[in-house]
Amino acid sequence: VIPRFLLAAGLAILMAIGGMTSYVYLGSRQSKAVAAPLKPIAVLPRAQAFTLPGTIYLAQSGALYSFSAGRFHQLTSEAGWTQPSLSPDGNSLLAVQRYPTYSDVYIMTRYGSVTGHLTSTQAPPRSTWDIGANAWSFYPRLSPDQRTLWISYDGPKAAGNGYFDVDMAVWAVPFGGSIGQGRPWTSANSYTGGDVQPVPLTSGGIIYTKYSYDSEANRVGQLWYTNRAGSAGKALTTTSADCAQPALSPDGGSIAMICTYQKQVSYLTIASWNGSSLGGLQTVISDQLVAEPIWAPDGSGIAYLAPGGPAAPFQLWFLPKNAYAPPPPSPIPTPSPTPGGPHNAPLPSPTPSPAHVAPVVKPIQVTTNLGFDATSPLAWLG
Amino acid sequence: MRPGHRARKSRGRLSPFTTLTLAVLAIAMSAAAGGFAYFMPAALVTLNSTSQVVQVPSPSPTDILFSPSPSPTLVAQQGAFTVLLLGSDDDSKFTSDHVLTQSMILMRVQPATKEVTMLSIPRDLYVHLSTGGSGKIDGAYSLGSAGAAIATVEQDFGVHVDDYIWVGLLGLIKVIDAIGGIDIVTSSPVMDDYYPADVYGGDPYGYQRVAVLAGPQHLDGIHAMQYVRSRHSDLQSDYGRSKRQQQVLQAIRLKAKQLAPSDIPALATAIGGELKTSIGLDKVARLVPLAASFDNPDAIRQVLLLPPYARSGAPGGSLTPNWGLILPLVHQYFP
Repeated sequence: VIPRFLLAAGLAILMAIGGMTSYVYLGSRQSKAVAAPLKPIAVLPRAQAFTLPGTIYLAQSGALYSFSAGRFHQLTSEAGWTQPSLSPDGNSLLAVQRYPTYSDVYIMTRYGSVTGHLTSTQAPPRSTWDIGANAWSFYPRLSPDQRTLWISYDGPKAAGNGYFDVDMAVWAVPFGGSIGQGRPWTSANSYTGGDVQPVPLTSGGIIYTKYSYDSEANRVGQLWYTNRAGSAGKALTTTSADCAQPALSPDGGSIAMICTYQKQVSYLTIASWNGSSLGGLQTVISDQLVAEPIWAPDGSGIAYLAPGGPAAPFQLWFLPKNAYAPPPPSPIPTPSPTPGGPHNAPLPSPTPSPAHVAPVVKPIQVTTNLGFDATSPLAWLG
Repeated sequence: MRPGHRARKSRGRLSPFTTLTLAVLAIAMSAAAGGFAYFMPAALVTLNSTSQVVQVPSPSPTDILFSPSPSPTLVAQQGAFTVLLLGSDDDSKFTSDHVLTQSMILMRVQPATKEVTMLSIPRDLYVHLSTGGSGKIDGAYSLGSAGAAIATVEQDFGVHVDDYIWVGLLGLIKVIDAIGGIDIVTSSPVMDDYYPADVYGGDPYGYQRVAVLAGPQHLDGIHAMQYVRSRHSDLQSDYGRSKRQQQVLQAIRLKAKQLAPSDIPALATAIGGELKTSIGLDKVARLVPLAASFDNPDAIRQVLLLPPYARSGAPGGSLTPNWGLILPLVHQYFP
């Protein structure tokens, strides 16, 4: 038997602990779905982490990161940085810094030190309320000879009350020159957002994504190819496939892209490329929301961004080459007569080998709990 | 020891069984109290936001142009119900409850077949208003709150609206942030040089530049709002915006399926007074598991009143409805 006053005190303590435990327990049961992404440099590499060859450059929360040997390095502060791309010689990075009313392209070392300001798109207000003279420059790429900067750019624009059209065209600007020395290569369709994501080719032409309205007035993306400024070029994909984000393979013989078929899906799709036209589209991944595919420099696969779970932030994924280009099955050995004379006995029958079943190669999730900018193309240095 | 002293001492002590019972009761009660404290803020917000009383004014006989609403009894028998979703600019340009509804979506839910139909009503549609006279349909709410908006939709479209949900600009932003963002495939770049800077810009009449780039992406509240609200860069103007609004609603539904009950207090606190609904708590409790069971995106039908259902040219830049086409369409999906 326990004295009453001791019991009362004990029960009070028990109730306080019980109440707090219940409250804290419920708080700890919040789903991971609402958790904010971690910073990449806060993630310790796992001992057995899958590592990709070379270095991948990506963006999260306005900062650029490099990822090599399973470890992230932060290259810039969180200051609107996005869309890194490598110079063809691999010595420099181009990147976009985004401000509230405009964005500019910069060149920096592979370690994030800015060495040059390549576009200047800021403009004074046209009036106290009209800031539309500012411009965006996105998706920077250097030509293979490193003499031309390719960008998507929405200036210069017509001005006036009620003029609301803002479309980007693909521009070619002499590397190191001013944007005034550049010229538009494409002519954007009005009220579509325009032409984006140029991929310069060694032939001097470009592949890019053009947005337009289809016959049912849906806004859709198509890959286009053009080999001279002002030329309409030609469509490489249909409006119904609704494709975008082209990436050229290291050997120049294939293109990876995403296709949405005008739905809230995004399939990883590849096609052969002969320098002027595409082969048939091959859907490689259809159960993920794939963004920004990029080929491994050594041809070992394709990296891309996709959610880490249903409706979750985007993580880095890798699809090994065997998933989309499985090696040919090894030939079944055929019996050959014993050399050195007539063979009277029946030929030996080969040992029946099991039917060749290619193993299913699945995508590998490289990161977890991060949240990469899925509108920022990846750059991959071999 | 004297018998009297022993008796007094035994009255001050309890048996082990009684002590154990009291301890178990104390733990159970305190755990319940902890749970109550955890969910109380959400309960208060929910109580303030739900079960809003709606006074649907009776339209004057001259305002009734079309067939009366179907019998609510029939609706109840089938288990189906219709909700009017309203989204408003509720920045400092407007006084409380006198806001325009930039987004009006009539949603029909059929639990038996797990089908949902969402009909986007163009905000510029020129209609007879339940409060009298004619005007853009987005003005009905500003003239008589939810009741007027519901009555206008009921009388003009010939449907019965069971409930409404109203959400303000900040509400949508906060909801999306509170659920950790949504995944969307934006069908093209959404570029706008004259996007209202009325939410966080400080000047309700100012502008900001917006560029939501194309492709799959994870959007936070402010960028999702830019995606659904911008209309200057879309040749389809309000129609294009309606498509984007339906995409975002579906993305929110998909994300909501990932949430746990423990997320509710944070969500309710975030929403605050930015959401109002006539749906009662009991119905909310029934709808949550129902919403989670709708897992087939093909069973969600999206209907837009594109031309020739509505054409430009009405007064004040509004749209002229072609009721001869609209009403058969509406009655097909909202019997």
